[in-house]
Amino acid sequence: MRPLDPRLLRYARSIRVFLAAQTLIGLVTTACVIGFAAVLTRIVTGALDGDSLSVLGPWLGALVGVAAVRALTVWASETLSMRAAGRVKAELRGKILDATRKLGPSWLARRGSISVATLSGRGMDALDDYFAKYLPQLILTALVTPILVVVIWWQDWVSGIVVVVTLPLIPFFMALVGWATQSIQRNQWDTLGKLSRGFVDLLGGLATLKIFGRQHRQADRMRTITADYRRATMKVLRVTFLSGFVLELASSLAVAIVAVGIGLRLVEGNMVLSVGLFVLLLAPEVFLPLRNVGTNFHAAAEGVTASEDAFEILDAAAVLPEGAARAVLASADSATPGIAFVEVRAQHEADAPLAHAPLTATVAPGTLTVLSGPSGVGKSSLVGALLGFTDYVGEITRDGASLRGVPAGERDWLAWSPQRPGLTAGTIAENVTLGDDVPDPETLAWALETAAATDLDPARDLGVAGAGLSGGQAQRVGIARALYRQRRRNCAVLILDEPSSALDHATEDVLVQNLRALAATGVSVLVLSHRQAFLSGADARISLTPVSVSAAETIEVDA
Amino acid sequence: MSDTLNPAATATTSPTRTAVTTRDVLRAARPRGKYATGGLLAAIGSALSTVALMACSAYLITRASEMPPIMYLNMAIVGVRAFALGRAFFRYLDRLFSHEAAFRQLETVRVGLLERLLPIAPAGLARSRRGSLLSTLVSDVDEMQNLGLRVIQPLLTALGVSIVAVVGVAFLSPGAALGLALALILTFALSAWAISVVAARAERSLAPQRATLLDALVDYLGALDVLVAYGAEPAARARVDAADRALTNSLVKRASGTGIAAAAIALFTGVAIAIAMISAIPVLQEGGLSGPGLAVLALVPLAVFEVVANVPLALGAWRQVRSSAERIANATDAERVADVPAEVGLTELVPVADADLLTLSNVAIRHPGATEPALRIDALSIGAGESLLIEGPSGAGKTTLAHALVRFIDYSGSIRLQGVELSDLHPDTVRNEIGLCEQVPYLFDEDIRQNLLFAHDTATDRDLEVILDQVGLGDWMRERGGLSARVGERGALVSGGQAQRLALARALLHEFPVIVLDEPTASVEGDLATALIADLVNAARAHGRTVILISHADVAGDLFDRRLRIEAGALVSAR
Repeated sequence: MRPLDPRLLRYARSIRVFLAAQTLIGLVTTACVIGFAAVLTRIVTGALDGDSLSVLGPWLGALVGVAAVRALTVWASETLSMRAAGRVKAELRGKILDATRKLGPSWLARRGSISVATLSGRGMDALDDYFAKYLPQLILTALVTPILVVVIWWQDWVSGIVVVVTLPLIPFFMALVGWATQSIQRNQWDTLGKLSRGFVDLLGGLATLKIFGRQHRQADRMRTITADYRRATMKVLRVTFLSGFVLELASSLAVAIVAVGIGLRLVEGNMVLSVGLFVLLLAPEVFLPLRNVGTNFHAAAEGVTASEDAFEILDAAAVLPEGAARAVLASADSATPGIAFVEVRAQHEADAPLAHAPLTATVAPGTLTVLSGPSGVGKSSLVGALLGFTDYVGEITRDGASLRGVPAGERDWLAWSPQRPGLTAGTIAENVTLGDDVPDPETLAWALETAAATDLDPARDLGVAGAGLSGGQAQRVGIARALYRQRRRNCAVLILDEPSSALDHATEDVLVQNLRALAATGVSVLVLSHRQAFLSGADARISLTPVSVSAAETIEVDA
Repeated sequence: MSDTLNPAATATTSPTRTAVTTRDVLRAARPRGKYATGGLLAAIGSALSTVALMACSAYLITRASEMPPIMYLNMAIVGVRAFALGRAFFRYLDRLFSHEAAFRQLETVRVGLLERLLPIAPAGLARSRRGSLLSTLVSDVDEMQNLGLRVIQPLLTALGVSIVAVVGVAFLSPGAALGLALALILTFALSAWAISVVAARAERSLAPQRATLLDALVDYLGALDVLVAYGAEPAARARVDAADRALTNSLVKRASGTGIAAAAIALFTGVAIAIAMISAIPVLQEGGLSGPGLAVLALVPLAVFEVVANVPLALGAWRQVRSSAERIANATDAERVADVPAEVGLTELVPVADADLLTLSNVAIRHPGATEPALRIDALSIGAGESLLIEGPSGAGKTTLAHALVRFIDYSGSIRLQGVELSDLHPDTVRNEIGLCEQVPYLFDEDIRQNLLFAHDTATDRDLEVILDQVGLGDWMRERGGLSARVGERGALVSGGQAQRLALARALLHEFPVIVLDEPTASVEGDLATALIADLVNAARAHGRTVILISHADVAGDLFDRRLRIEAGALVSAR
């Protein structure tokens, strides 16, 4: 671990103000340390020389005064560090989310949304220790230590030599140990991540495990995982603590050598007590910030490792080109109204094999078109291509204009509901009117009715990821959301991915009739489904065939 | 179970089936054993060495300045060196032992929590938002290791060293000892006030704010595609930022509280020394105290307060540990726990002769925590090898029935399996006979093989491939690169239909005599669903097994011996 990762300075600019303020606090702290030692030395030597309390009174007042100033800087440093930590975390979190947005949903699915959430939540919180405990001490080390060394040298060059000789040993051993633990440290963070994923997975699957009578092993499994975690961590800690031991030993022994050296010179009359006492009081303070850096090294390391994970995401996003160039509009004469696919093959991942044969088809305005095909053939990937989330070969046009390069967030003409509705915390009404700053209650009521969801209370509160609704209910809220957007933005295209898979037939029939009615108003409605109700209710049908079956797709158009 | 050989045996181990209290969690988290004791002794040894090093150094140089023969200094010189070594050495041992103890205890906490959750899952768990659950059980359990490391040990060490130092100083000057004691008490009091009033006020809002932030992040990242497509991404992002700001605000307020406590240490160090000097200097001048004695009195408070500086941190850590323990305790819901069948009962099913496979009479089932039953069944009898379809609209109580049959929730009335009342049997025994294929199958973040093997761990790869072929996943599995292909976090890389097929494959592999299928075709495409159900029902019949299929959808064909319907919370005959 580097003391201060330059990428932190680059990615989190707010850190600079913090560094400046901490430097000021460091200077005041140094003055306090020297002042306290000088005043205390004056009091003790004065008392030994026979000064009365009345003579020493002002000095005692000064002692308490210096302590009070020191107290103030301690408080200021604490609050300032946390404020800085908050700013930097917010900045990094924001940048992670920006990067995630840029990298897109399919990258997120591979990376795992929970792991990114953990990194930007708990992972970034680990930076608190880095800012509150580690960095201030690092700055103090850079300020207090050299100034005190100069003062000690100026007062007593022999003690100065002892301090100067011992001091470099500390960063030397720290670097040595740090270099040795770096890879172990890295593994430990991975282990921790694996462990927390395992724990969450275990808790999520409790019911499943019980059904199969496998719950009894899980406690043992958890015990094994946790014991592995303990062993892995202790392996790191043994070495990490060794660096603490070296720091502690070097500083303790240096102070002891200084004390014994001063004692011996005092006894021979080569020194006066005031100098000896002053130097003795300053000596431990030289090592204190360095020792604190060492002590907090471990606490800070977790935050630094987490921030390295964050930097990886940021670096990955940084190499992606900024929004691709806008496609050129095709000439108006050749424009096909609606959506047209020409030899399109959607690719879920950049280097994944193509699952379906090239598709050439149109989704005309005013029709209910049903897209079907075997499970896993890439229907949802095709929709992803239409939405701008998924790479594809071939050409997709809307009213003759190519969709290539149009950012996903700028497809105003499109309303879509995915297979997994992707609901969020909030009321049903908030979910349905997603993306509308001024929700319209009339359209909301219409959307819920058209989605056959009149039984759901719009004011009902949902948990994270729409928790609290059954599969069928969530599905209808997702459909209502797409319908709401379609009507509010007058979208020309409505896409529903498996809208009725969790619905009963009566509800499904209502939905099909409502969608037919909507299509009749001139909207292109594309439904991905295999359900008989949709297949028989469709104006047009497109079937997507696996690549192995045939290169030729079939298009059947009913009257 | 160990006593399956004895047919009438009742399971002797009945895992605790009560809600967890904060006190339970804290008790489980308190490190014990030789590592904990060793760690505490080493910590006190290290702290005392710090104080002794300071006292010895002060004595050494002040005595030296009186220029006595060097032999009078030898003891002090040896002491300085020994305590310098001792401090570092004890500190190393302290950290090694106490971390080992803390991690060992973490093992107990994790496993203990899991053992408490297992018997009551899924019905007895509090309905928490997913993000909060993640936050609670992962980071809060981790937090428990700080109880020993950052709370108990520093407090005991500071207390021990304070007492020894005050007593030691009292030998030199009772007045200085009184001053030191007074300053220490004031420091403890001010720290406690700053930490438990100022910081605590902020701390209380911290946990919900962290959960809110994580919830906002989970929502944002979990629905990113939808948010982008709907142009709602900036609003969701603003929610994350607002949660972030609120959290930072509370963190700063808390830091202000801990800052006051840390400042108190710096201030009272000066005060303690000033009092010591005021009471000791007149005594020195009257000849009642030696010069080195005065130096010791002046310097010892520095070392004592260095040790005491850990007290505010410990008090802060205590608050965090306690609120984490509270949140862990809240993961279980006492009211719901009462509705979870106890993990006791006969471990061997001894069929009554001539009894039907399943007989339900006057059954009422209610949701956990609810007062009114969600489903009533007056009379229903199911024969071995029969295949039964139960239809009904969403929310009619179909899943409730499935959960009662596998003893996730209790029932009133009578459900008999081969003539034996389900509630007399151990739930594990029931679940060995009746298997449930969940509506939302849970897939573990492992490969396909692991997701199947846990249902039947002696199955060969060949067995797994045969089963996958039966559920129509054979080609899919081979295209994905075989059984070692991963299914992704929560089955993210598997479509809804494929997840259902995998779940069906698991149920088939486990060879349950009775299989309850809760909406197995909910996200399976229409043309394949019919074939899939046909495969399943036929295979089950060939093995003489019984299938209860619950669906809102019409299932075509004559696959089923009987069709029943749930309407308005009651079972009625088919149309």
